[in-house]
Amino acid sequence: MKKIDLHIHTVPTISDTDFTFSLAKLSEYVNSAELDAIAITNHDMFDLSQFNDIAEELDCAVFPGIEINLGKGHVLVISDNENLDEFQFKTQAVSEKITSVGDSITVNELVHIFGDLNNYLLIPHYQKRPAISGDTLDQIGGFISAGEVDSPKKFIRMAKDETEITPVIFSDVRIREGMSKFPTRQTYIDCGDLSLNSLKFSLRERNKVALSKSDGNSLFQVFDDGQKLSTGLNIVFGERSSGKTETLNQISKEFENVKYIPQFSLVQRDDANYEKEFNADVARKKSTFADKHLSPFKTVLDDVLNVDIGINHRMVEDYLVTLLKLAAEAEKRDAFSNVALFNETKFEVGVDEALNDLIGSVRQLIENIEYREIIDKHVDVNNLKALACELIEALWSKAYERKKRILANDVVRDVKSKLQLRTSATQVKDVDLYKVMIEHKKVTKFKQIAKLLQTEKVIFEERFQGFKVVCKQRAFAGAREIKNVSGQKVAFSDAYREYSSPYKYLVALKENEALTPSEFYKYFACIEYEILNKDGFKVSGGERSEFRLLQEIKDAQNYDYLLIDEPESSFDNLFLKGEVNHMLKEISKTMPVVVVTHNSTVGASISADYIVYTSKEIEGEDILYRRYSGHPSNNELCSIDGKKINNFQVTMNSLEAGEVAYVERRNGYESIKN
Amino acid sequence: MKALKIEHNQGHFLTEENVYDTVDKIDKVILLRLVNLALEDDFQIDEYDEGELRNQAHQIIYKSISEKLNDLHQRRNQFRDESKRLYLDEYEKYKA
Repeated sequence: MKKIDLHIHTVPTISDTDFTFSLAKLSEYVNSAELDAIAITNHDMFDLSQFNDIAEELDCAVFPGIEINLGKGHVLVISDNENLDEFQFKTQAVSEKITSVGDSITVNELVHIFGDLNNYLLIPHYQKRPAISGDTLDQIGGFISAGEVDSPKKFIRMAKDETEITPVIFSDVRIREGMSKFPTRQTYIDCGDLSLNSLKFSLRERNKVALSKSDGNSLFQVFDDGQKLSTGLNIVFGERSSGKTETLNQISKEFENVKYIPQFSLVQRDDANYEKEFNADVARKKSTFADKHLSPFKTVLDDVLNVDIGINHRMVEDYLVTLLKLAAEAEKRDAFSNVALFNETKFEVGVDEALNDLIGSVRQLIENIEYREIIDKHVDVNNLKALACELIEALWSKAYERKKRILANDVVRDVKSKLQLRTSATQVKDVDLYKVMIEHKKVTKFKQIAKLLQTEKVIFEERFQGFKVVCKQRAFAGAREIKNVSGQKVAFSDAYREYSSPYKYLVALKENEALTPSEFYKYFACIEYEILNKDGFKVSGGERSEFRLLQEIKDAQNYDYLLIDEPESSFDNLFLKGEVNHMLKEISKTMPVVVVTHNSTVGASISADYIVYTSKEIEGEDILYRRYSGHPSNNELCSIDGKKINNFQVTMNSLEAGEVAYVERRNGYESIKN
Repeated sequence: MKALKIEHNQGHFLTEENVYDTVDKIDKVILLRLVNLALEDDFQIDEYDEGELRNQAHQIIYKSISEKLNDLHQRRNQFRDESKRLYLDEYEKYKA
């Protein structure tokens, strides 16, 4: 296996923060990391003379390259070592096009500059920002040998996925004067000689790349001293002050996108405060959930808000009264009341919603992309377009007629009111019976829906590692509950008297001017959101911490590494052995997890993939911090500098307080049992 | 032909049969027909004249209707265009 790092910066450009390059540091990096090949890839430029200096100084293979802003992402273009003058000439053309931050070139320009891209090794930022866009990838897909990622998690995910391209992980380091730590992101590759063609050939096969020399993708290098960790579950243990927490801090500092749960961070330092915080979190989730649940009801309510049944009833009554009166006063009719317009009604001028909807639907059929094939199979799009046009023409003519009617209504109203002033005859009051009836129906439906909403039932239930999140709807038990939901200092007691009759209740709410109508939907039903323990009771203080730890671990899925420092300091063993161990095992299948522990429940029961024993050792007058690591089944654990230590001994000492104590304890338990 | 005219001190409107009837017979259906006439280019009426119209009921009706129809006639293009603006972009896209 050869170790390569094909993404190294040696010149500060407009895309970098400023730094001073050091050839000595580059040489130190190559030697300490034992690299077999590197590539010099500066942003949008290639410095031939510096490249020659570097190639001459280093013992490893050095390839000339350039990192180009291609569209919205970056791509590494790496050349072989022949025709360096030509490569510089071509890269010069890139430099001329990219002169300020935000500039980039297109795929066409790339091809125009470099000619046949098959002559180069192309590696785009793939699962790494700024990633190459899908469109650009499609265009250069045939020339790409591998995709660059920025974490072991992403590397492994791609390595396992047959549909993905080969992953590579490189340092993307700026080699600067005075740098004290070197990067650990490199890729091992199984290839014959170290020529560009050989690299390209090997990169085409995913099983030829790995994160470690001899352990495939199960280990990756975590520190620049060569320390490795498992890409799965790691347990770090050791005596007090031997460097366990320091190990986690170092990982957290040197890597990006790390989820770190420090020691005691989840313990209840201040119970009252913690409970408040926990409840606030629950309240936020509840509010989101309630809004989602109530949103259809809100639509209904907003519509019914504009309905006034009282006015409607009065209008019908007025109509009947005036009609009967007119009939009874036939002898009073005069020149004014005898004209046709005196008792004329108005034209109906409602908008034709159905036609609007129909036009919208036809438009969807014409413009839909997702189901284009199915639509085209059954209907000719040209017919649909003709249909849309005809419907729109119908709409125009309807709209035109409607406008005329509105105008005629104006005249009718005007003439009627003027005639009325001149006569003692009774004018029949107009009423729109259609509107009255539709609104009556709306209110009936509204009442039914509100009643359904007030029926007590569980609307959502989710089990989560022994906890249960339960959402319920029910009727409010009193005015105070509604007041709490409203968050306002307004009394609801008057309105609440009508609560059992939803429409009357709504009218009462409307009468209270201190309330905002857009919030009314919250005042009809109580939505409860509770987190219960496995026995179905509200969670206790300790259980709240447990719930939060599990949530934190769940949240780690969004990160590339998970670090936990001594979970046992906050939780009891049963909880750790059950839920926590289970979740850690699961999550370690997709990303590196590092747990620091003294506790045998965590350390020994979890069956880790890799263990690290930290040790503070005194050699002469020096204090040395060593890490011994290996697989749990190894007889010996090894340090980076070649020292070995007995695995059984240190595991017993760290997790069980020594073999003697362990045996005594076991015997003790046996005697209780007997 | 005039849509509204004053004759023998009475207000008249043009019926569908192209004869004239007195304005006290106008109902909303007739009114809508007059609105249609006002949207035509050759719409004509006798101007309202209080002195000429003796019947007070006719005064009220003739004044109100003639004013509204005159105003509509002036703005007939805008009136028509406003309705045609609905979904016009889509219409032109699909018509092509």
